[in-house]
Amino acid sequence: MNSEPILSIQSAEIGFEDSRPLLEDCNLEIGPGEIVGLIGRSGIGKTTLIRTIAGLIRPLSGDVLFAGANISHSARGTIGLIPQRLGLIQHQTVGYNVLMGALPNSTGLQSILSLPSAEMRDSTRKAIAAVGLEDKTLTSVNLLSGGQQRRVAIARSMVQNPQLLLADECLGELDADTARDIIGLLKALVEDHSTSILIVDHNPVRARTFCDRVLQLRGRTIIPLSEEEQDEATGLPQYRGDE
Amino acid sequence: MMGEIQRLSQFVLRRPILRTAIVLGIMAVLAVLHLEITLSRLGDAASNLVIIAGEAWPPDFSVLTDRAAWAYPPCEMQTDWMCSPAVLGMTQTLEIAFLATIFGMAMSLPLAAAAATNLSPPLLAQIVRQVLAALRVLPSLIWALIFVILVGIGPLAGVLAMTMYTVGYLGKLQYEALEGVSREPLEVARAMGLPRWQIARFFAIPEAANSLISQMLFMFEYNVRHGSVVGLVGAGGIGWYMQYYLEPFKLYDRVLALVIVMYLVVIIIDQISLRVRSQFIEDDEHIQRPKWRGTIVPWAESSDD
Repeated sequence: MNSEPILSIQSAEIGFEDSRPLLEDCNLEIGPGEIVGLIGRSGIGKTTLIRTIAGLIRPLSGDVLFAGANISHSARGTIGLIPQRLGLIQHQTVGYNVLMGALPNSTGLQSILSLPSAEMRDSTRKAIAAVGLEDKTLTSVNLLSGGQQRRVAIARSMVQNPQLLLADECLGELDADTARDIIGLLKALVEDHSTSILIVDHNPVRARTFCDRVLQLRGRTIIPLSEEEQDEATGLPQYRGDE
Repeated sequence: MMGEIQRLSQFVLRRPILRTAIVLGIMAVLAVLHLEITLSRLGDAASNLVIIAGEAWPPDFSVLTDRAAWAYPPCEMQTDWMCSPAVLGMTQTLEIAFLATIFGMAMSLPLAAAAATNLSPPLLAQIVRQVLAALRVLPSLIWALIFVILVGIGPLAGVLAMTMYTVGYLGKLQYEALEGVSREPLEVARAMGLPRWQIARFFAIPEAANSLISQMLFMFEYNVRHGSVVGLVGAGGIGWYMQYYLEPFKLYDRVLALVIVMYLVVIIIDQISLRVRSQFIEDDEHIQRPKWRGTIVPWAESSDD
């Protein structure tokens, strides 16, 4: 990598207090505009790692640095999160959910009065159009399909325009066409805004088609996917059940 | 003889339910003796009931037509029935309940957000929970007595009393609803680096909106019912008009008419509120909606199925 990494994890132990760490001696660097895939079997700690990078859980030891500083000191709106179940406000409209991405950029007065600026409204409209949901702007998100809800979550991230987007299995349970559309939207986010993306995916074959690098959680740490494993058309050893 | 007593005591000791029943029975007898409750007094009550029922029946519905010249605050309307005790009393009760619900909601929502452990630091949440619990300790009738002393007789005391109780009661329901919202939208907001008040205002409260609206409507129903009670100590509403007829005139037929009017209004409000609330309850296929018959004659509901 030529430039300073946007995310740097150094010798970190990840997990919860009072129990054995899920991940030990973790090291990871992600550069600006890079898409990094993360795979691993269920329950190994992928979501815990994502939540730690998002600043929701403290690492048990070691450092998690964002743009060279401790993750807890990262500026508002610089980290975006798309959790497994997307984290949408189910009783609100598509427009409301996407607009929430602009909240970190709003002034205190705008927030108190609930009066988004013209710029915030404009970026919301553009993001909704970019994900192809213009006709659903005033539809409640709980009435949308799974694929449409993922588009809403990505539109929210487009409006937020974070430097690092953490996407936890946002391609899960999608048909091939919809997954391809969502991948296209994530790539557009990288091209238009130079956003770095760390994406958890259960499908290693798919992950290596659109990620710059694919890493795996294995043996309680993060390791790169080997050349041999990358060439495996049928997936990783652990997916064949020999771990 | 000794052998029989021994057998009886063993019979009792071997049966825990009988043993418990005997202990509870002895405690009940002791309490009755201590409170000087006698059958003769119960007999007096029965004969008093017959006298009062005789005086109350038939109800005097002139309370719906005659002008209450003594109304407080004074009624300025020209039409007599608009200034009748029943209309004035019920209108005041509804207004007290409405204002108490609105003011109570406005005060309880920020307190509930501060009391919710998923939105607030643990220490602050505990302190606010204790404040809400303290507000709930006193029933609305005692709050009404306090405010009648502080601000004098009239609907203002009723509004303040019901507001205090609403804050304590609604606040508890609300922080439980806020704690029940999905974790993920809140984590999205935290990852964005938003302050706690924005997470509560823009993520948690909208996510819990259906429950919060449903609880507010329930609280309005509750306040209408209790708004009639606080009037008995001078805090306005239909209870105040009942008290006027009870002391010193003992016009039970007019009181009965007011009770019937209040009963009908409460049933109508309950039904409207139930219909509206059902719109805000998710998965309402599983909600068993009460029927008219069940509302008017509650014991008829269970015999239905």
